[in-house]
Amino acid sequence: MTRDQEKALLDLVTNPPPGSELAKAKEFGVDLTLFISTLRRSPTERARSLSEGARIFQIAKQTHLSEK
Amino acid sequence: MKLEETIRILYDGGVEFVVIGGAAMGLQGSAHLTKDIDFCYARTAKNVERLAKALEPFHPVLRGAPPGLPFRFDTKTIANGLNFTLSTDLGDLDFLGEVSGLGSFQQVLAASDVRNVGGVDCRVLSLEGLIKSKLAAGRPRDLYVLPELRGLNEVKKKTGVD
Repeated sequence: MTRDQEKALLDLVTNPPPGSELAKAKEFGVDLTLFISTLRRSPTERARSLSEGARIFQIAKQTHLSEK
Repeated sequence: MKLEETIRILYDGGVEFVVIGGAAMGLQGSAHLTKDIDFCYARTAKNVERLAKALEPFHPVLRGAPPGLPFRFDTKTIANGLNFTLSTDLGDLDFLGEVSGLGSFQQVLAASDVRNVGGVDCRVLSLEGLIKSKLAAGRPRDLYVLPELRGLNEVKKKTGVD
């Protein structure tokens, strides 16, 4: 991501234009600032992050089940 | 769930596939988490054979089926079925022959982007494709992710970020 792209991204997610899809997403409850970190990552880093997220979710689920 | 490794294994096995569903969302930049990986696969005889061979070492079984149920994820089974939800040593993997709102593999392929994951150029369903398929699927959990996908699509179009 270039510096200009990063600036444009930051502007969009912090001040979504009224009526835009971003404004609708924000109103729906989507945390738009997460796009800043996810879009900074390469697809490989996104894949690793997804796998790590799934691993943590699995641990949390097993912990919850064992406590029941 | 081992996304990078699974993509590598399918690629090395010469399988024609497109990453779809939650994994595709994540690869396109969504913050959504998923615990399984969905793929659309080509239904040609050669590809079915390659898919069965690539997954064989990872002990695929039907997810949620009673233990001991006879099942082999082989060429014949794949050819006779269409969509498979599997538990494997790589995690939960779903293989779909068709995707709602898009159609068969060729249509899904046409709606995909190339993404390099771990050094492998693979096909990942585009944001437009994801939006179309989620709309067509129409389940609450599909509709729930639409605002994020549409917002992400807008960001990419306006900034050129990929």
